[in-house]
Amino acid sequence: MRMRFLGPIVMASALAFAALPTLAAPLPFQPSAPELEIDEQPGYVPPKEAEQLPDGFERQYVFFRTTEPPGSIIVHTSERFLYLVQGNNRALRYGIGVGRDGFQWSGLVKVTRKQEWPDWRPPPEMIKRQPYLPRFMAGGPGNPMGARALYLGETVYRIHGTNQPQTIGYAISSGCFRLVNDDVADLYGRVPVGTKVIVKHAAKL
Amino acid sequence: MLFRANHRLCSALIGVSAMLGVSAGDADAQTLKTVKDRGTLVCGVSQGLTGFSALDDKGAWIGFDVDYCRAIAAAIFNDPSKVQFVPLSAADRFPALKAGKIDVLSRNSTWAMGRELEFDVVFAGVTYYDGQGFLVPKAQNVTSALELDGAKICVQAGTTSEANVADFFAANGMKLEAVVVSSPAEALNAYQEGRCTGISSDVSQLHAERLKLTKPGDSLVLPDIISKEPLGPVVRQDDMQWFGIVKWVNFAMLNAEELGVSSKTIDEALRSEKPDVKRLVGSDGDFGTDLGLTADWAAKIVRAVGNYGEVYDRNVGASSKLDIPRGVNQMWNMGGIQYAPPIR
Repeated sequence: MRMRFLGPIVMASALAFAALPTLAAPLPFQPSAPELEIDEQPGYVPPKEAEQLPDGFERQYVFFRTTEPPGSIIVHTSERFLYLVQGNNRALRYGIGVGRDGFQWSGLVKVTRKQEWPDWRPPPEMIKRQPYLPRFMAGGPGNPMGARALYLGETVYRIHGTNQPQTIGYAISSGCFRLVNDDVADLYGRVPVGTKVIVKHAAKL
Repeated sequence: MLFRANHRLCSALIGVSAMLGVSAGDADAQTLKTVKDRGTLVCGVSQGLTGFSALDDKGAWIGFDVDYCRAIAAAIFNDPSKVQFVPLSAADRFPALKAGKIDVLSRNSTWAMGRELEFDVVFAGVTYYDGQGFLVPKAQNVTSALELDGAKICVQAGTTSEANVADFFAANGMKLEAVVVSSPAEALNAYQEGRCTGISSDVSQLHAERLKLTKPGDSLVLPDIISKEPLGPVVRQDDMQWFGIVKWVNFAMLNAEELGVSSKTIDEALRSEKPDVKRLVGSDGDFGTDLGLTADWAAKIVRAVGNYGEVYDRNVGASSKLDIPRGVNQMWNMGGIQYAPPIR
């Protein structure tokens, strides 16, 4: 697994860089924009309509060939999709936000823990950069972790929800995969602890 | 040159079935020379099919099939604009190619054996795997075509779609109530009025039709594909060199995507130390010259129109109105069946 950029980050879920401006309003959807510069917005509860993804990122069944068994999760970071393998050449596909350049990784891990409405504890590195962030935030609708979290192996990465649905389709996080809350809750209900998770990204030149 | 040396050996080695019935190399026409002398590529396209070949609001041709011709022009002239597009009806397309009125046909045409034999043409590859599928209301909560037992399906009369649906339902022991309509527009009406609970047609068309619904978001195209409609560019059988160029333009775009070479990364790719990237962009080997082009032929294509994934995305995929999931047209190592022989 490639993790060399992430050593110092204790809890990488949805970190952003301190120098970036805070977003005032959701950005219009731009599928071609690969990266998005946006801070966490702890406490922000998105309107219901913002959680409705554009067609291309909506949860849907798609044709998908793989030798991985049904029930496995395959993440294609360059495509911004997470596939839950169904067998019979199909998969349930979810639109995701992924790690920004330098925070992308690949490898094989397992779901080691599941949590509903996870709490948020920004790690010390992040507090240093963004002293105004809360030290602890209880799980709930305004929490950047969103509605559910799937912990991946012994890594700092998770598959989790978000209170910023407009970031789906972008490279934004520090290596975690974020889904809109509806989707992460749906996925959470379908996969047990121990589920195989394969993360792939595009070929390097 | 490789292709001229021994056709039978080549077809055996490369394994491309499209090389059937090719005449002897000595009689080859000089399509590349003709195109170069003329200064433009003459490309046959549709009379207007959203996403594949259509005029934009400024009167320029755009689309998936259009970009394939632009890619060929980029490989030859280093200029994707040096294409003259000739819109052709379904009936006229193959006779026009056979008569030499166009250099290449890039018009959502299904590769089928009878066409190669009847018109002395040859398909240079599969750029888009289309096939028949189903459009259904999301509210039905159907996730597979196998759950359509007893459904009322609108199909167009006199098409292969009608027979395919009947075969698919029969083969899976399901009851079909076919609602035969005379046009795609009538199918949409019947569907919206509830006279049928699904429409069956080629998947690319279903995505285009879905956009015409009052509420496109309430319907979805199932991932199942029940027939084979492999679409690709077509050339005459009398010019192996030209066939090789059109074929390898397609393969270069597919290989570029697989290797991570895109219009955004092409400059980085030219400095790459990876052997397969170097052979693709021409910093190692001289495949392009052997093809009758230049060493950097593939780099010119990618710079001008992008790799396969970029062309798909822009015209029919996530960045287009059609928004068709990659599905079978995803790379072979990413869940699909698009697979190009390597450049080596």
